[in-house]
Amino acid sequence: MELADHHIPAKRTIIPYYGAAALSLVAISILTFISAGDFKGHFFQPHLLAITHLTVLGWGTMIIMGASNQLMPVIADSKLYSERIPVVSFILLLFGTCLLVHSFWNFDLEASIFIGASLVLISLTLHAINILLTCKKAQTNNIIIDFILTAHLWLIVTAVIGITLLLNFRLSFLPAEHLHYLKVHASIGMAGWFLLLVIGVSSRLIPMFLLSRKEVKGFLTIAYYLINGGLILLLIEGMVLKSTRWHLVYISLIIAGLLFYMAYVWHCYKSAIRKKMDAGMKQTFVALGIISLPFVLLIAAVMCYHDTPVSVISAYGYSFFAGFITTLIMGQTYKTLPFIVWMHLTKPDRLADLQPKDLYKEQLVTIQMRTYLPGFLLFLSGILLREHYLMYGGCVMMTAASALYCSHVFYIINHLRK
Amino acid sequence: MTDVEITDPQYEDKIRLMQMLSLVRDPELELNIVDLGLIYSIIIDKGKKEVAITMTLSTPACPAGDYIKGGVELMTKEAFKDYVVAIVITFVPEWSADMISATGREELGW
Repeated sequence: MELADHHIPAKRTIIPYYGAAALSLVAISILTFISAGDFKGHFFQPHLLAITHLTVLGWGTMIIMGASNQLMPVIADSKLYSERIPVVSFILLLFGTCLLVHSFWNFDLEASIFIGASLVLISLTLHAINILLTCKKAQTNNIIIDFILTAHLWLIVTAVIGITLLLNFRLSFLPAEHLHYLKVHASIGMAGWFLLLVIGVSSRLIPMFLLSRKEVKGFLTIAYYLINGGLILLLIEGMVLKSTRWHLVYISLIIAGLLFYMAYVWHCYKSAIRKKMDAGMKQTFVALGIISLPFVLLIAAVMCYHDTPVSVISAYGYSFFAGFITTLIMGQTYKTLPFIVWMHLTKPDRLADLQPKDLYKEQLVTIQMRTYLPGFLLFLSGILLREHYLMYGGCVMMTAASALYCSHVFYIINHLRK
Repeated sequence: MTDVEITDPQYEDKIRLMQMLSLVRDPELELNIVDLGLIYSIIIDKGKKEVAITMTLSTPACPAGDYIKGGVELMTKEAFKDYVVAIVITFVPEWSADMISATGREELGW
């Protein structure tokens, strides 16, 4: 039987992603502080586009790509197909994101934005190919792998729509108005890439961390078909029929899928042997609670489609990324990064003096969570009420939490130098 | 988890070995591998000076698998100096959370 050592990817395939993502989070907080006033206006404006793309690519996608290079061998029981591709992907994503964000910030639609977007697309495609080929060698085939592979497919679709939208800025060839396609681009990215990936990875990690005795995989299968069914119909109606008539129905399918996933998590929790949760797991469960927030706002936005205030749409997007995704990633960082660093610290000829939990400070994670969450809620209230004092207050708290998170990440990584 | 019967002629040796193996901990669960139920069987052949351990991992691709196996080998050699140690990793039966001992469950807050 092939053992674990052969599944451990090299540090260079993972650690740079965590470092870059942590720095991005601090940059996002600072840029949000600078542009807090812009959140009171329409969501389609340079600074918000720049912040959104930094959040999606520099923070969310960056750390997810790094973590998946570590987790895929575990999930697929197979060695990572290539250890060179992640290095190339990282460099391309880093430079591509910087160019893209800089161009959006200055609303410079010349060559740099297209070069940036192309670098990002190449990076994402290479990463997706590496994950696909890793899963192809998998000794097991299950619904969790289906979730992850399909998420990567939606990621590429999202990036292609994104580049098409950039081209449309210059050439105006799309028949419907630009904002219509922007909504499709955002919806596919959020539900197709982030949601499916989060469901796939967490469905493996949650029962593993909690030592669950019962996993109702049937719920995951139903969730998979409901979410993907909703997304395909959304894509066809949005891109081909150029309509939003049945949006509510498709969104309901996605929400129904999400509820089945929640039921799966609930069974895992109920049957868990490990009831004591560390701060990282607590934050993960808080994130799973927050996920209802963007969907409540989404339903509100869709049901009052013709006269939805832009603040509700901005709040919907903001609560998804700054609430659900960021809280989840912050929590899961302390479940994955210390373990990754620890694996590279252990020596074969002696028992480890330190355990992964000794590589970070649990109390700081709690402080970080208690600073970030009220800050996020304050900022969200500021968007909905169009009150910039609330936004600035929220920003200060989120910036403090981000700086704490970033320092903590580098503190953990720094153990590798000892 | 392997149970050592008090009537086992090698009772003392096996208990001593289990105590040594208890020093090896699963890094994520923070529980020792004996209470985790990873040790399936121990055979000690004093005549041939051999110790054979059959054990499992919580998952075939457990990232800490090599560390745990190394730890088992290290502790066995510590308990039985000059003995040849053979460790077999098996996934039959597949490990499940039900294999965790009562002490282990208590430690995990179950």
